[in-house]
Amino acid sequence: MSNRKLESDYSRYMDLKEGWVDRRIFWEREIYEQELEQIFAKAWQFIAHDSMMPNTNDFYTTYMGEDGVIAARQKDGSVKVFLNSCTHRGNKICYADDGNTRNFTCNYHGWAFGTDGELKGLSNEHVYDEGDIDKSQWGLQQARVDSYKGLIFATFDEEAPSLEEFLGDFRWYLDIMLDQDDGGTEFIGGGIKNYINANWKFGVENFVGDAYHALWTHDSGFKAMNNNEGFPPADPTGSYHASMNGHGWEFGTEGLADIAILGQPKVLEYYEKMRPKMAERLGEMRSKIFGSLASVSLFPNCSFLPGIQTFRVWLPRGPHKFEMRMWTIVNKNMPDEIKQAINIGCMQTFNPAGVLEMDDGENWEGNTSVNKGVVTRKGKLHYGCGINRRIEHEELPGIVYASQFNDANQRQFYERWADLMNAKSWDQVPTRYTPRYAGKKTV
Amino acid sequence: MTKGTTSNNTVASLELINEVQQFLYREARHHDNEEFREWLTMLTEDIHYWMPYRYQRYRKNEKEPTIYDTAYYNDDMECLVKRIIRTETGTCWSEDPATRSAHVVTNIEVELTDNPDEFRVYSLVTVHRNINEDEEHTMLGHRTDLIRRVDGVLKLAKRKIILDQNIFKNKSLNVYL
Repeated sequence: MSNRKLESDYSRYMDLKEGWVDRRIFWEREIYEQELEQIFAKAWQFIAHDSMMPNTNDFYTTYMGEDGVIAARQKDGSVKVFLNSCTHRGNKICYADDGNTRNFTCNYHGWAFGTDGELKGLSNEHVYDEGDIDKSQWGLQQARVDSYKGLIFATFDEEAPSLEEFLGDFRWYLDIMLDQDDGGTEFIGGGIKNYINANWKFGVENFVGDAYHALWTHDSGFKAMNNNEGFPPADPTGSYHASMNGHGWEFGTEGLADIAILGQPKVLEYYEKMRPKMAERLGEMRSKIFGSLASVSLFPNCSFLPGIQTFRVWLPRGPHKFEMRMWTIVNKNMPDEIKQAINIGCMQTFNPAGVLEMDDGENWEGNTSVNKGVVTRKGKLHYGCGINRRIEHEELPGIVYASQFNDANQRQFYERWADLMNAKSWDQVPTRYTPRYAGKKTV
Repeated sequence: MTKGTTSNNTVASLELINEVQQFLYREARHHDNEEFREWLTMLTEDIHYWMPYRYQRYRKNEKEPTIYDTAYYNDDMECLVKRIIRTETGTCWSEDPATRSAHVVTNIEVELTDNPDEFRVYSLVTVHRNINEDEEHTMLGHRTDLIRRVDGVLKLAKRKIILDQNIFKNKSLNVYL
């Protein structure tokens, strides 16, 4: 009986040449269900950082879309990711966020699964006759797992391209964060989780390319962290958007602003000392990108702020709600004192109590809830900032736009979203940029 | 941390209990009224205001959070002052219109310590927050405080808050627990 006509071609929810996006993609349940099928059951997603499960039988539970999964460290050092649902009656087999265990035993009937996801034993197994069950056939469904420089990813799609191909040239940018020195990165212990009553894409698009909001939304938070001085006026020079298959990094090249937001002078000093080494390793350009006013999203739902060091996923919980999981990422080789200063500064700015973060959730909930209104929902949203600023850049791979105050990465994110929503197979998913590093290392 | 019953020599006098209760109620009133500068005067210079992360773990895997882990709050005086500055900028959009909050402090227990000027105080704080048109949130924290008498006046020197939620169920924590 619904008179709401939904589009069968998802690219019709936007016109990226005119620069608008249809509000319904932030509201309609049917579209959300399609996202679970077409994006979260297909794309590679961030699961955990290696440092969260250093030892054999360490595990961490999370979600891919709304599918609960367990990631567990194997004896050989690899990681398996499998569904968190018993193959007998379906109950969750693990109710903990993390820990260390030999088995996941279902509370209902006592079916026990190893940390490799295989069905190992049944309680009162003698109630089964011979031939009733072949345990080797009733293990937990496994995802494909791969990792990039400490970040563990998984996908349930056997047909998906390799992780390296999925990340593509974005690896060149990721190295700025993950490969600054020999030691690589680690997460500070624990993590913060909270619910926001907003569509998950508002979190991702904010980090993929919305430097613009920072100047207004975060004026109060920035002043708090910066001796009562606000952001300098928006300077469109020397800053960029870069997008590769929906992954996006918006950044300046002044090297300072995001580190300054931590409000920890000793961290600024640390990076100043480290920068020449970073330049040796990553080149001058990438050493200047790090620490600048910047934000990053990996398609579909993982984000971080280089310099501030918050790292997070946006887990969908229905069309109007997501769970945010946050950590602090640091370099393993940093002195403990620097790690702690970053932890304190990062947490003071970016968590539900953070002086910057507090103002974001409020906006995204408003962005979402207004679409209850049928008239409101029929409107479009403007995504046209900097629409003619596309450039070719000698050093910077991807689709590059001049100035970080720009909607370019957001437009590319929604283009990728529509590409995946429409695709019947991965062959139909276009690569919208010209890769420079296909099959090559990026450091 | 002491658990269970306490021996007689740690029992606080009614007078002290009353003084501590009045201290905590006054603190709650300052929070409800957004009198944050007044609140800061109730804290010692070496305040540690800490609300660690919360994870759900199996009993066999339980571990105490440390100050080197992630935390909602892990603040010294300088950090707290920065938070207050944010609310004074005039551009703190999410606080305008203002949040309506009620801090209900209960289950107050006062224990003496080895230092005659320091008291360990347990309490439960329930914060009701009402914002925007009709949004209501409830947050509940188990607090362990160290309250110190400085020049005859009680001040909060340490606070550890254990949130009674695994996933923090709200978009923001713009109230102090």
